[in-house]
Amino acid sequence: MSKLTEKHHYDGTLVCVEGIDGSGKSTQLALLRDWLKDIGKDVIYTEWNSSELISQTTKLAKKKNMLSPRTFSLLHAVDFADRLKQVIAPALKAGFIVLADRYAYTAFARDVARGVDPNWVRGVYDFAIKPDLAVYFDIDPKTSLERICSNRAPKFYEAGMDLKISNDPYESYVIFQSRVIEEYKKMLDEFGIVKLDANDTIHKKQVEIRKMLKTILQNKGVEV
Amino acid sequence: MEQFKRKHKYNGLLVVIEGTDGSGKSTQLQLLKKSLQDQCYGVMVSEWKTSRLIANVIDDAKERNLLNATTYSLLYAADFADRLENQIIPALKSGFVVLLDRYYYTALARDVVRGQNIDWVKNLYDYAPEPDLVFYLDMPVDTLLKRIIGTTGLDFYESGRDVGFSTDFYKSFGIYQNKCLEQYNQMKSEYGFISIDGTKSINEIHEIMSNEVQKILDTGILD
Repeated sequence: MSKLTEKHHYDGTLVCVEGIDGSGKSTQLALLRDWLKDIGKDVIYTEWNSSELISQTTKLAKKKNMLSPRTFSLLHAVDFADRLKQVIAPALKAGFIVLADRYAYTAFARDVARGVDPNWVRGVYDFAIKPDLAVYFDIDPKTSLERICSNRAPKFYEAGMDLKISNDPYESYVIFQSRVIEEYKKMLDEFGIVKLDANDTIHKKQVEIRKMLKTILQNKGVEV
Repeated sequence: MEQFKRKHKYNGLLVVIEGTDGSGKSTQLQLLKKSLQDQCYGVMVSEWKTSRLIANVIDDAKERNLLNATTYSLLYAADFADRLENQIIPALKSGFVVLLDRYYYTALARDVVRGQNIDWVKNLYDYAPEPDLVFYLDMPVDTLLKRIIGTTGLDFYESGRDVGFSTDFYKSFGIYQNKCLEQYNQMKSEYGFISIDGTKSINEIHEIMSNEVQKILDTGILD
């Protein structure tokens, strides 16, 4: 069985947030980070597609529309593997709380929405460590579009323009992101991901997340 | 004449030459390409780690020692996917003879030696078409070592220095290449390699390969 379904045995705690763009996950993670630092915890933060090794290449290839669903998937897997081995795993071993803005579930949702085989992509990521807490922020694609595209058009890949669903980037965005959301929803039970309503207030969501994290830390014998 | 059955769903023919570094793959590939073109067949050649998307990244990352075993595997898999989708499959669809210097067997050998689970690596490549012919150039390690020292010199990754077998280049090369050979030997029967003694002369080897390809062409499969 994949590591993603087995509890890890590191001293640290892994928290990830998931959801389509504009669901407010980064705001929540930033609030969580500041709070954890304030109360004196060792925290690190890591973001999707940010590794030194590959993120610039991926961004450039995206700009040039050079990626097929398969190479899109593999390049993001390279990024993830790089951060997992060099950043996330060492920090967990050292007892840190690791906050990840997006995790392997992002790949499962997006790649499968692009037509990649769900078992194949799960196989690719089977070295990933199971998070102690994974939160999915549920939002509808139209609200997401309003939030992120108030002053710009959706980008090629985030709108799924590579799938040639529609020539209109706004329409394509809504269709593609609906597929991504569908994949996320299938994963809630599969991986034990907690769903929060993205339309709730920032305060309400943060209170819920802190409550869940406190329980997890207390179960590990960590004082909060 | 007996009808040849392709191992994939495309019109062309997929021929792979495998073997460790310095086994003479590229020389044979060029000879084979020429002899096929002389017979009016369309030939496309593609070499390992040459995708426009990712090949430079791999070289750069190797130079800066940025790779771990997992990123090493995945980067090569991305390079392969890019070449497969943009060069190899389009050429096969158009009825070319596609000659490949290395195929996913290389990744299987190298990644497993680097400690990856073989099923994980197989999954990375499981969508790739099966070749119609796989030639394997079988070379003893001491001959390889002499060839490589005499030409390109010992390279950090080709010597498996990243795996940590030994800090001595010579020793590390021997251990690493022997382990790769073990993997290739296991694959020989699993994937039906045509194994050729790599210490034979260039012409003798070319003759063997040429004959095998000719047998298939004589069935009229590309006519």
